[in-house]
Amino acid sequence: MKLFGKTKSIPQPTNGAKEDESRRSFMHKLGLGGMIAGLAGFGFQSFRSLIPNVLFEPPMKFKIGTPASIAEGMTFLEDKRLYIFKEGKSFYAISGSCTHLGCTVKYTKLNAPKQVEIDGEKKNIPFEFHCPCHGSKFYADGTNYAGPAPAPLHWYKLEVSPDDGQLVVNMNNEVEQNFRLTV
Amino acid sequence: MALAEATKKLYNKLTWTWNPGSDKEAGDAIVKNVMLHWFPNKISKASLAWNYSFYLGTISFVLFMILTLTGVVLMFLYVPSVERAYASVKDLEYVISFGWLLRGVHRIAAHLMVAVVFLHMVRVFLTGAYKNGSAVGANRPLNWIIGLVLLVMTLLLSFTGYLLPWDQLAFWAITVGTNIASAAPLVGDWIHFLLLGGNSIDQGALIRFYVLHVFFLPVVVLLLFSWHMWRVRKDGGLAVVDHEVLDQKAEKVEPVKSKTYSLLGITNGTTVHVQNTMVDEEKNSVPSIPNLTRRIWLVTVATFVVTVILTMLFRAPLETPANPSVTPNPAKAPWYFLWLQEIVTDTTINLGFITINGALIGGILLPGLLLGLAVWWPYRDKSSNNSVGVWFADERRRQNMVFLGIVLLILVFTVIGTYLRGPYWNFYWPWEAWPEMPVKF
Repeated sequence: MKLFGKTKSIPQPTNGAKEDESRRSFMHKLGLGGMIAGLAGFGFQSFRSLIPNVLFEPPMKFKIGTPASIAEGMTFLEDKRLYIFKEGKSFYAISGSCTHLGCTVKYTKLNAPKQVEIDGEKKNIPFEFHCPCHGSKFYADGTNYAGPAPAPLHWYKLEVSPDDGQLVVNMNNEVEQNFRLTV
Repeated sequence: MALAEATKKLYNKLTWTWNPGSDKEAGDAIVKNVMLHWFPNKISKASLAWNYSFYLGTISFVLFMILTLTGVVLMFLYVPSVERAYASVKDLEYVISFGWLLRGVHRIAAHLMVAVVFLHMVRVFLTGAYKNGSAVGANRPLNWIIGLVLLVMTLLLSFTGYLLPWDQLAFWAITVGTNIASAAPLVGDWIHFLLLGGNSIDQGALIRFYVLHVFFLPVVVLLLFSWHMWRVRKDGGLAVVDHEVLDQKAEKVEPVKSKTYSLLGITNGTTVHVQNTMVDEEKNSVPSIPNLTRRIWLVTVATFVVTVILTMLFRAPLETPANPSVTPNPAKAPWYFLWLQEIVTDTTINLGFITINGALIGGILLPGLLLGLAVWWPYRDKSSNNSVGVWFADERRRQNMVFLGIVLLILVFTVIGTYLRGPYWNFYWPWEAWPEMPVKF
């Protein structure tokens, strides 16, 4: 019986040996390549299965109640980590997530409003946001002024829902600091 | 009678390798017992010395075994689900018999392991033990790098472990930790998404960290540990042996007759025994059994006792359940990450046109740089063979100073983070009282 490993020792025509050798080498590479490709494919599909296609997460766009139902001043939406402000008829929303490493900033009322200059504009600041994790500080409009935070707090777009007149926050849509929704 | 005889015979058969009657039997025991097969037949007195290695590597491994054993039992009792994780840890603490001890030993052993693995690295550096000596085929720099990876793995195991209770500490640790990952340029957001299995910290994140903690990382540690130990043998034992060889060469003694083939038969190259004749020499070395096994047994028992005593003294804390809307004030990482927390606080840089987040500089670039420096160091170290395996060698004085300087800086940042930071990460002296903070506003 001819065994796989023994075929070399069987006398062969000299000009055929070279051909045989290259065929053997080709089959060898084909087998090895097939195995590597198979393993790589298996690795890829295992890894790919860990990247979710569907997320069961709370929506980034949600209703928060009618304008009249929202209290004057600041309202903190705990599960959304979002500050909603109502000043008479105008509304705006500032994220409570610190731009440094994502801790929830705390609304800190100042004993007396302080006057600060933001982008060359003098403003009276009645409150600030302070981050407990690494000590970042933000003015009332979200502008960072102390600590490691690299950017101002995010502002999100507010809309009025056409169906029932409730306010809608869209946390996918960032807006400028001068954004106001007037109802 | 016959039964007693047979029992005695069986007992001897099972235990003789642990208690050999002669040096020859001690040598046979190494070959015949798989547990003892790890050790060399004979070991130099110098590498047995307590005050050379302090057995820090052995202690690390013993702690890892304690963590594995307690961890497996904990796996029966802990439920990795967002709804039940906190309650199951609370049950461990207050309902399950000895649950508090199990969790406490696991926690203390983890803290100790971080400290001991770090000290092990410091020891190896200060003794120049990452340098190749005279043994052929030695590659100690490679083993130093494996050790560095093991240190990183130890830190990752701690990180993935302390967020499993799903309390406030856990939740804010993942928040900060994964946000550091997302500060990485280009791939940051993608890694963040992959780590959490989504955009928010929820069930997907918990189960990922759980599997990493109980399976993936321990398996990697075990594989790397085996490689680490195998390399120690291949590199000719502890570095202090190389130093002894130099001393021996200076003495110019007649070379002793030594076998020139290895136990495994004829292979390429020569074994370390051929170069290091002193390994087999009577006056320098002793049989591993019982001299090494006895010491390792002692270290094992001592490590276990210290761990249990510390567990009795420091009960494991459990904070309030995870609450995404309220960040604890101050929110502190465990002590071994406080130097990093201090650094990410101090390294946000404003270049005028662009602000670079401290998370990138302090959380990724700086630790990466330190690690890179450590990997590169053995290849840069050009000191002579005389400073291999010697504590505070004169030749390496400046290197040791730089290294100790970096270690000191890390310690200083750790102390600042631990004792001198209060609410809003403000600076407070230890004797200053912290202002009272509302738990919830």
